[in-house]
Amino acid sequence: MNPLFKSTVLFLLAAAAASPAPSQTSTPAARSVPDPGKLLARSDLSRNGWESYEVVTVIKNYVDGELKEEGSFDTSIKGDDRTLVKFLNADVKGQYLLMLEDAMWIYMPNTRKPIRITPLQRLLGNASNGDVARTRYAGDYKASLKGEETVDGVECYVLDLAAQREGATYNRVELWVRRVDARPKKAEIYLSSGKHYKTIFYDAFSTVHDRLLLTQMTILDRLREGSKTIMTFSGYTPKEIPEKYFNKDYLEKLR
Amino acid sequence: MRLARQAALAVIGFAFLRAPANAQPLQYRVSLVDEGTYYRLNNASPFNPGNTVVPQATWGNVGNTGLYLGSGVLSTLLGFTATSGDISLPRYDFAVRELALDVSLGEALDLVVGKKILKWGTGYAFNPTGVVEPQRSPSDPSDRLNQNDGRNLVSLTAFFGKTSLTAVYLNDARYANSSLQWGKNELALRAYSFLGGLDISLIGHYSEGDRLELGANSSYVIGDNLELHGEILGKKGSSALFHPIVSSDNPGQIFDSYPYVPLYADSREIFLKTLLGGQYTLENGLNLALEYYHNAEGLSVQEWKRWMNFVKFQDAVQSGAVPVSPDLIVPSRMNLLWSLLTLSTRGTMRDYLFARGAYSDDTWGCEVIFFMNANDQSIVAIPTLTWKAGVSLSFYLRYAAYSGRDGSEFGSLFTTCSITLGLGVQL
Repeated sequence: MNPLFKSTVLFLLAAAAASPAPSQTSTPAARSVPDPGKLLARSDLSRNGWESYEVVTVIKNYVDGELKEEGSFDTSIKGDDRTLVKFLNADVKGQYLLMLEDAMWIYMPNTRKPIRITPLQRLLGNASNGDVARTRYAGDYKASLKGEETVDGVECYVLDLAAQREGATYNRVELWVRRVDARPKKAEIYLSSGKHYKTIFYDAFSTVHDRLLLTQMTILDRLREGSKTIMTFSGYTPKEIPEKYFNKDYLEKLR
Repeated sequence: MRLARQAALAVIGFAFLRAPANAQPLQYRVSLVDEGTYYRLNNASPFNPGNTVVPQATWGNVGNTGLYLGSGVLSTLLGFTATSGDISLPRYDFAVRELALDVSLGEALDLVVGKKILKWGTGYAFNPTGVVEPQRSPSDPSDRLNQNDGRNLVSLTAFFGKTSLTAVYLNDARYANSSLQWGKNELALRAYSFLGGLDISLIGHYSEGDRLELGANSSYVIGDNLELHGEILGKKGSSALFHPIVSSDNPGQIFDSYPYVPLYADSREIFLKTLLGGQYTLENGLNLALEYYHNAEGLSVQEWKRWMNFVKFQDAVQSGAVPVSPDLIVPSRMNLLWSLLTLSTRGTMRDYLFARGAYSDDTWGCEVIFFMNANDQSIVAIPTLTWKAGVSLSFYLRYAAYSGRDGSEFGSLFTTCSITLGLGVQL
């Protein structure tokens, strides 16, 4: 065997043994271990800049690269457990989604009646009701630190999230958050049956009112290959929203 | 009760005074539905043998345009309906379905005055606690033709976090013959709260000249997929009108005047309406709903049989199979027509099952409804296929089949099936 080739192979084997592959999970034992609950709470800040605010959400659903569905929503969020989503598309004008604690209702103007629904039910494309309405994971899931990993060149902590309340959208989530500031990078979603359900990429962030907030995320449906949903968030506005807006009885009064 | 009316009028004036002058931007919704239906008539129907008693169309077209306008505190829903068919001239109806002032009297108190649709029930196809609601049909729970009308009311709601208290005064007053004609005074109260994941409402309703009704409804979600709901409403006695034949074993009678009477007005029996239901959503998005409804004011199996035998007796008189004096032929025909008033679109007997399966994707929607009389096992099946041609435009094909054995409720209706082609536009 050529000695140069032999030494090259030995060098590569040694290098491979010395450093983990970029996509492989490593244990964080060598570093100080961050509190997973605090990491998750910090991660939530990139979707929730204020205690009470409004944001415009646009959802576009693509199948095999072709735009199939598009929807726009005005979302009002107050505290950890109150969200009101107003549907803006012509075919669903006047429709609202209300989240209060663990419960969700949908209000349709033609039936004039709020109907209890579950967070997992599809809102548009691959986006579940909970993807729009339940923006704070810290209260919904118990986090544990699974390891560290580099995703697309970004060093991340890997959190394993297990649902700890009825209203949590998903049963189990693996969440990658940036080491540097805990912003979410990617999530893998699993159903209670254990099926791999979705992959979420947190694509873009922008500075709004001095806060770095999520402006785009992409959801890939693992049960329907070729289906991709892009959610964009704009018009973040801190605003005091009256408490009664989050009472189910008030839905019929909204326009 | 005159005092109640005067108080209602005073509140209307107060609401106008409280209405803020700065109008919010105008919100609007336009819905347009047009559908053509072919009906296959049931010539063996005892209510309409040979299509001779109440002639039915074999085809018809219904077009409805609904316009919702809302600005500031004022909102209205206007409806324009055009109907035509093979046995009648085209008809055009305009209706103000809603016209209401909705005024906030502070952070936690709201006042509504005018004509408005309120819904209090948790059920999908049935709504026993919907004491302030317009009538609903289980074969069309979503009111696809926008036929539901609001009721004249004054409503005051106080909000306390996850709880609210509502008091409503209702009066179906109408303007006719150049004067305002007052209807019955009604008062309804509701306490609603969301406690530990449970949606719960307690309801009371009193209509002038009737007994007090008390009820409750609730809904709850278990896990990711299952929603359960229930309603109960009860009152001592019943003001519902019954044909006296339901308590007689002699069907061979011809009544000489309008026969309906409140048979159980003085009864001490508690008449209950109960609903139990749930819906389950599968991982692929298929939604399944099931409801059971019991109405103690409906006819029992025996009462239905007595009434059906009475109807068949009138049929026999009309066909000459039962010879009677010639001067009884016309009264017998009137008896046959009156007997139809026993039928209700919400079901005439006591126990019903409703099932619905619905699935939709970006382009197609599919819904199948089964509405079954659990007392005689007759059934209505309604599959609907919807094609979403665009964000605002959809087309649908709806088939309705009525079946049941001889003398059963849905097996005796005027049609055996119908097929509908429709389009819907939302702007």
